[in-house]
Amino acid sequence: MTDMTVNAPAGSARAARTPLARRIRLGGSVSGVGEAGWGRTIGAAIVSLIYFFPVFWIILTAFKTYEDALAVPAKFFFTPTLENFAQVFSRAYSAGGPAVNTGFTLYFFNSLFISGVSVLLALAIGTLAAFGFSRYPLKGNDTYLFMILTTRMLPGIVVIIPIFIMFRVTGLAGTYAGIIALYTVFNLPFAIWMMKSFFDELSPDVEDAARIDGSSDVRVFFKICLPQVWAGLAATAVFGLILTWNEFLFALLLSGVETRTVPVAMSQTIGGDIGVRWGLLAAIETLFLIPVIIVTFALQNQLLRGVTFGTIKR
Amino acid sequence: MTTTTDVPQTVPFFQRVIAPRWDNWQGALIVFVAGMALAIASLPPQVSFWASSALAALFAVTLIANAWGKYIGGLLVTPALALLFLMNVFPLVWSFGLSFFSYKANRARAPTWVGLDNYAKVLSDPDVWDRLHNTITLVIMTVSLQMVVGFLLALLFSKQFPLRRYLLILVLTPMMLSFVAVGAFFRYYYDPTFGLLSQAVRVFTGQPFILMNSVWGSRIGIVFADAWMWSPFVMLLVLAGLVSVPKYLYEAAAIDRVSGWRQFWSITFPYIRGLMLLALLFRTIEAFKLFDLVFLLTNGGPGTATETIALRVYRIAFENNKTSESTALAYILLFTVIVLTNLYLYFANERAREAPAS
Amino acid sequence: MSTIELKGVTKHFGGFTAVKNVSLGVSAGEVVCLLGPSGCGKTTTLRIIAGLERASAGDVVIAGKRMNDLRPDQRDIAMVFQFYALYPALTVRENIMFPLHVEGLDAQTGSDRVARVARMLQLEPVLNRLPNHISEGEKQRVAVARAVVRDPNCFLFDEPLSRLDIELRQTMRGQIKSVLTGLSKATVIVTHDQLEALTMADRIAIMRDGVIEQIASPHEVFARPTTLFVASFIGTPQMNLLPAQFDGVEGPHGRFTVDGQPIRLPVDPAVKKLAKGQVTIGIRPRALIPDGAGSADTIAGRAELIEPMGAETLIHARTPLGSDLRVVVPREIKVKSGDALSLRTDARETHVFDSSGKAVRT
Repeated sequence: MTDMTVNAPAGSARAARTPLARRIRLGGSVSGVGEAGWGRTIGAAIVSLIYFFPVFWIILTAFKTYEDALAVPAKFFFTPTLENFAQVFSRAYSAGGPAVNTGFTLYFFNSLFISGVSVLLALAIGTLAAFGFSRYPLKGNDTYLFMILTTRMLPGIVVIIPIFIMFRVTGLAGTYAGIIALYTVFNLPFAIWMMKSFFDELSPDVEDAARIDGSSDVRVFFKICLPQVWAGLAATAVFGLILTWNEFLFALLLSGVETRTVPVAMSQTIGGDIGVRWGLLAAIETLFLIPVIIVTFALQNQLLRGVTFGTIKR
Repeated sequence: MTTTTDVPQTVPFFQRVIAPRWDNWQGALIVFVAGMALAIASLPPQVSFWASSALAALFAVTLIANAWGKYIGGLLVTPALALLFLMNVFPLVWSFGLSFFSYKANRARAPTWVGLDNYAKVLSDPDVWDRLHNTITLVIMTVSLQMVVGFLLALLFSKQFPLRRYLLILVLTPMMLSFVAVGAFFRYYYDPTFGLLSQAVRVFTGQPFILMNSVWGSRIGIVFADAWMWSPFVMLLVLAGLVSVPKYLYEAAAIDRVSGWRQFWSITFPYIRGLMLLALLFRTIEAFKLFDLVFLLTNGGPGTATETIALRVYRIAFENNKTSESTALAYILLFTVIVLTNLYLYFANERAREAPAS
Repeated sequence: MSTIELKGVTKHFGGFTAVKNVSLGVSAGEVVCLLGPSGCGKTTTLRIIAGLERASAGDVVIAGKRMNDLRPDQRDIAMVFQFYALYPALTVRENIMFPLHVEGLDAQTGSDRVARVARMLQLEPVLNRLPNHISEGEKQRVAVARAVVRDPNCFLFDEPLSRLDIELRQTMRGQIKSVLTGLSKATVIVTHDQLEALTMADRIAIMRDGVIEQIASPHEVFARPTTLFVASFIGTPQMNLLPAQFDGVEGPHGRFTVDGQPIRLPVDPAVKKLAKGQVTIGIRPRALIPDGAGSADTIAGRAELIEPMGAETLIHARTPLGSDLRVVVPREIKVKSGDALSLRTDARETHVFDSSGKAVRT
């Protein structure tokens, strides 16, 4: 374990991962994970592909023409077209019908803008609070934390009724400010719990050392603690983005025509004019899903913590 | 841990409260609470909201002044707590109050006190009990299906094999998707004419198949979509338990000639028991709130066969505009979820204590 | 002047008192080891000096200034942590440079000083690596480098060598000692390893249950322990401690009853003043010398278990009534299991502790 050789090979150095990264790794032969061969791969591949099939089929449908998408029996082999994707953002589509604006350029922008700003705000406020809860526990610290998580676990419909009225009274309904404020609060408990779970894992000794070396509390936070939780910060941000990106009920009730997000717009197209155009709807969905799938892949190691709001780390 | 200089407070409480100082938070709190009550009681809502906000801001300023350099912890968490209070706790308390009044959001008439009438109405309403029954049926079906499927998936992925990481992503994706997207997919798949399900059935029966027309059909439709989405969640938790079993225990078991079923129950199961309980609770909480998927797939139909409590609250509040009646029902839902959340956190903490971070 | 002084320092954690009325002075250039079993309050004492904990009572005086109410960053001290506490996000160079930020040095002076300590501790090849990518021994040296790069009021070490393997520990002991010798600062080292304390310290403070039992030079704590606890804690193998009845003195000898048998042992003159009653006799295993013929001045025993330790042999012997004795003899003396032994000792090596555990000594 302890070698005095000064030039340790870079490979072995790389193998010595941070304890944090090691602990939350899902796979790997950390412990208890036995080895299985390609036989298991084949079995797992079959199951995984069946499981993924609904998503796959939608992506496939997005490349189908209007007729192919409605073909009976369903077509597995067809000539792919990018027409649907072009139509999502084009000002109008007119294949077979009158020219109608899909409006999805605006909706995609809204989704991005609203989730982006609200996640940034929630992250800034939540990280500070998480650091406070983790390092300077208050009287009744756990009670606060419990109440914070509870607000996040409450049924959306319960929370939304008073807020709906409040927003109407204050004129915030349908504005960017209103929906961003709401989503900031919606993301806040998540950000606090996630970031607290990351701060809790840091060694307090390191901060003590920085204090003894003459650092103020502010410098300890920015120079010592934050750099250690960059990965956690990124994971929290991305999870927040997905949660907000996917959120439906709040947006349905509180966004206006100009501030409508993709999920709301999508739900309104189902059964409507675009709804019959499964290819177009599938293209919208595909565009909506792709970022989520990419991010899921990137966040695989943090997934457990993310989906349980930081309550389960390993 | 830094040391904070604690100066002994010798000034009597009363004098401290009335002192007009920037760090006099107790005084500001009294002003804030009293002022807010007054404003809500006497001013029109448009004005009272902003008046209350101003008083809350004053309270916040005094807290910050008091805490600066002294209670860093309090200072750090205050913005978050204030925001949560303003946008979450305060509205909830307000709507709790509203549940004792008769009030309709679409009428200008002021709320009138009715006491527990709304609760009595809601609890004696056979429709509510019917929707509760619907909800519980869906919860039991979907959660048990998720537990079984999730557990089996976890077993499949509990060993290391080539391409595991990539195949895992395919299975984990559904839970990251939006309810709206999933709702849209399954509407397409359940479509009687060109939906894949109908086409598959037609191969055997020669007839198109309309799943969502029957009570149990639509329930199964919802449960299938929900379980598809959330079984990966259960899998993720169980998998975390499975990979946390130390390898040497299996080696010791092999040497002690313990195998198969007994090995599972005495070695593996203790490691996943806690996580399975947590998964069960978490999924039950979420399933109890089931709204989006039902709203998009069946909108409660056929008839009211799949109308959940959450959907019912939505209907009463936003379609019938019986605001205060809906808040009474909402509070019953809220209470259930709080109890379940409490249980969940209790077990989560228990688990964290048993296995401290190494 | 670089000095540390603790005056009646006490620390309560809720109802538990971790440190009781500890007074301790460390002069410039002196190395004092706080030695004791885990939970004895030694780390808490160190953290109180550092300002990481606040004393419930008493004063902390560093460099002649009372510092009770100052935060750690205002005390100008350097500390090496048990788990090194290297800043994970900074390279080794940035780690060593980190404390210099406060001094507001220009870049050239700063890097000169880093270069100097890096050369001194052989860290030059790893300066640009991150802490997670260097060996345990290197981490330890970085922690030391980060402390000595400064010119602080004093140095504090918390179990600095506990994470190193035995071989590396010996090397680092020497290295730390030689680095400290050149700096003439007051230094406090916390350790639970007596070998570390005996080799590195100018004086050792032995703590138990939050109280300093004895402060003295390494030689003194070994040769003249003032309490039963110090006697039993210092020295390997452990000192033999025999419960005995003191029956008075007879010339230079004390008369005792051990296990119902009267024996005479050479004792310190101060024992004369001791009242008759229960005492504990302490004799180091190496001070018991097998003597061919048994007499009234020897302790009788029977060898039960023989443990060769290389140059010496450890004999576990038992007195007729069943008390255990550890005896270390040179390799040349051959003893078999079951052999009868007569063990002799001398006055300087016979420690008598009264019923309250205090050594009776001039």
